[in-house]
Amino acid sequence: MVVFTILDWIWIVIFLLLMIISGALFYRLGKRSESDFFLAGRGLPWWLPASSVYATHTATDTPMWVSGVIYKYGLRGIWYTFFSAWCAISAFVSARIFRRSLAYTQAEWQTLRFSGLGAELLRGWLAGWQVFMNMFILGWVGIAMGKVCHFLFNWPEWVGLVLFSSLCAIYVLAAGYWGVVMADFQQGIIALAVIVIVSLWGIVAAGGPQGIINKLDSIGELWRTNPFAFSGWSTGDFPLAWFITMMVIAVIGGVGMGTSIDWYAEAQRIQSARTVRDASYSIWAGTALVIARNSLWAVAILGFYVLYPGITSQASYELAWYRLGFEFLPAGMVGFFFAAIVAIHISTISTHLNLGALYATRDIYHHYINPRASEKRLVWVGRITTLILLLGSFMYGLMMEEITKWLIFALWIMAAGIWLPSILQVIWWRFNSWGYLSSWIANLGLSWLVVWVLPAFKVIPVLPDYQQFWLMMLLGALIYIPITFLTPPEDMEKLVKYYVMSRPVGWWEPVRREAEKRGLLKTRE
Amino acid sequence: MSWIRRSWKAEEANEWTKEDLIACILSPLAYTALAIGIALALLLKFVGFLIIIVAIVLIILMIYVIDPKLKAISTEYEKKQNEYLEDLEKIIRWEE
Repeated sequence: MVVFTILDWIWIVIFLLLMIISGALFYRLGKRSESDFFLAGRGLPWWLPASSVYATHTATDTPMWVSGVIYKYGLRGIWYTFFSAWCAISAFVSARIFRRSLAYTQAEWQTLRFSGLGAELLRGWLAGWQVFMNMFILGWVGIAMGKVCHFLFNWPEWVGLVLFSSLCAIYVLAAGYWGVVMADFQQGIIALAVIVIVSLWGIVAAGGPQGIINKLDSIGELWRTNPFAFSGWSTGDFPLAWFITMMVIAVIGGVGMGTSIDWYAEAQRIQSARTVRDASYSIWAGTALVIARNSLWAVAILGFYVLYPGITSQASYELAWYRLGFEFLPAGMVGFFFAAIVAIHISTISTHLNLGALYATRDIYHHYINPRASEKRLVWVGRITTLILLLGSFMYGLMMEEITKWLIFALWIMAAGIWLPSILQVIWWRFNSWGYLSSWIANLGLSWLVVWVLPAFKVIPVLPDYQQFWLMMLLGALIYIPITFLTPPEDMEKLVKYYVMSRPVGWWEPVRREAEKRGLLKTRE
Repeated sequence: MSWIRRSWKAEEANEWTKEDLIACILSPLAYTALAIGIALALLLKFVGFLIIIVAIVLIILMIYVIDPKLKAISTEYEKKQNEYLEDLEKIIRWEE
């Protein structure tokens, strides 16, 4: 347990008031329309959604996740956190295409890219999936806060989960995305400042950079400072084949839409930017900050390792960065640190509350239940669904045990079978809604089969995660490629309209020729 | 760098060109350099500082190459945005 002084509690109360009021102040803007409640009226300069990208992807579970992989693998563990690099290419390819589509959500984009029943099924499927996923993410991020509060105050885990998610919901309910993005800007600054202070403090406490290196050298573990200390091509705990797989997934994945679970939150930020250029820079800059932050954390965790080597319990070493702050910061600063943890926490919670509500409102209620709904009603539906997501997240949060286990499953497996189809839908005109839909359905079954069922019955051995990825990609392709060719291409009228509006990259020649024939595009020389 | 085009007409900017490809190559390299450079620099390794400089150069180059094109695309697209938004509302209301 950590003992707080009065100064510590003052920090916390001031920060909480500042964060909640700064969000709620935008109540009047948020309630104007569906576009305002979910996209801030599509008028934000790039640095606002960029700060939101950074703040959203700095959650209470993030330092646990980074601590877990760095403590276990040393500096090479930064590659586990390099998934966010999908924005490197996405910023200049899929973000541009998606921003031009103007779709509120990825689910809505499906009905612009595809046509007919297949498109509607995809929209409904993705909308339902995203409502579930956001509730799920809220649960795992929320329970991470519960663990931190348990570590600090010995509160039961549910208290931290319920208390801070509920406080955050105040401004999300009031101002929607306006509240989210404005509070994110402030929270992002607070979080960055504290991450820098605590991490540098931890590095100094461990003896400074040279002290860390000397101590690692003395215990024969200097390899921990080498980001490329691979254990072999395909052997050991950190094979090169894993690294190559991860780089392919992260970097090439940026060409597609939905290749990473983070895409859905970023898609909302892309659409809230005022121009295509702002959209590109927003996700690029936000992610650059995320990558810089991970490296800073990584070195601080190396410092923790030399202070406390030999911890075998994952649940214990996942708290490494938090322990650096609470054990080494001077009295009076601990409250400042905890207030920043609250900022880190609620910036993520606010995003997923609003994002889940966006799918529930725009794609389910507005499109399927009440297409003639007024703007006022849509804003209220947004608020009600926000509340439902909040309550659902409490249930999921209390069901989760190990943060890292869930994150690895979510990052690797839940995206594996749809990684390539998510690229194909962007770059290949002939890929149709039935192909994409079948890849989703196949992936759900295949991921459980490959990861748990088949190894349990000894049909296949337990495979490393990178091999599971390639196997699922191959098995999935055996299903969705034949289905694509056995079903007709999308309606050419729809494809031409989509092409002229979005100008996708890749193999679109027949659609391009048709657009030129109709005089919608200038014929090339 | 005369082979990098810095002046774009709207219609030309909408096509995918070598400038996009160059940005897509520079961008992940910049991220990678940023990740490694910061970590090694914090351990006071000289190579870390060098890699950070490389990352900064890559970022400047990337913006130099892609920014004029992004500006042209944005200006041209803004003119059509309202019309596209109307279509979007028709789709959600099942009018199209």
